Amino acid sequence: MVDRIVLEKEIFELVSYIIVSARNLLEEPARYGPFRLVESASWLIRILEGAGVASDRLSSIRAMIEEGKHTVMSTEEEFKDFLESLVLTQVNNIDSGPS
Amino acid sequence: MDVMAAIKGRRSVRKFTGQPVGKEALLKLLDAAVWAPSGGNAQTWRFVVVTDPERMRRLRMVSPGLLGRPPAAIVIAQDLALAERKGGKMGKESLAKMDSAMAAQNILLAAYEMGLGTCVVASFHPGAVGRILKLPDHILPQLIVSVGHPAANPPPPPRKFEELIWWETYGGQDCS
Repeated sequence: MVDRIVLEKEIFELVSYIIVSARNLLEEPARYGPFRLVESASWLIRILEGAGVASDRLSSIRAMIEEGKHTVMSTEEEFKDFLESLVLTQVNNIDSGPS
Repeated sequence: MDVMAAIKGRRSVRKFTGQPVGKEALLKLLDAAVWAPSGGNAQTWRFVVVTDPERMRRLRMVSPGLLGRPPAAIVIAQDLALAERKGGKMGKESLAKMDSAMAAQNILLAAYEMGLGTCVVASFHPGAVGRILKLPDHILPQLIVSVGHPAANPPPPPRKFEELIWWETYGGQDCS
């Protein structure tokens, strides 16, 4: 049984991250925007896994995000390639969800 | 440790083990911080150390740049009222920021020598951080330094010397 109070605290933390990011991104470097989005996606998947909602396709995309997200500090091309690979992986996984 | 080895070996760490950082180690980092230079020797920095897990969680919530779940953070703030009294408009608007950055660099290098990982964070909401840390209105947080035991050290990004450094005049080549 998922502890609803723990789950609510985790969701609240993620929502705060997203809201503060939205405010700060008005003045921050443009590429921080996509970084915050994929970071939020990874964070959401981690919360869901803790709550018993997991799948191979979600775990794999989260692993890819964690592996490549810091390319935001590398060249623009490297970060773009990383984001492209995420999109293509996601598309390939559309039909492979749990049944 | 050789200073150049520390300068070149230090990385921005964004992944930490869960191991806490002791108070003695944090005090050493603060000692390094307050020995940084400051414009007009103003010394208007104020440092707030956060280690309590619940307060760290709250700090994370309003600091999107605070990545990797560090066990500790040093918030570098400035007494802007004092900075203005000591340094005028320049002191408040310019020197205070530079002083914070120089204090941060001292923390980073001292931490590296101690085997600790750090990252300088500017992505946070100053007003929200002020509330969480109960900062008076005239104390403005300018940087956060995450501190912890590194779980991973990123590779060094390249430096393009040929695009950065000139001799005597802009565009001037090596005079040797």
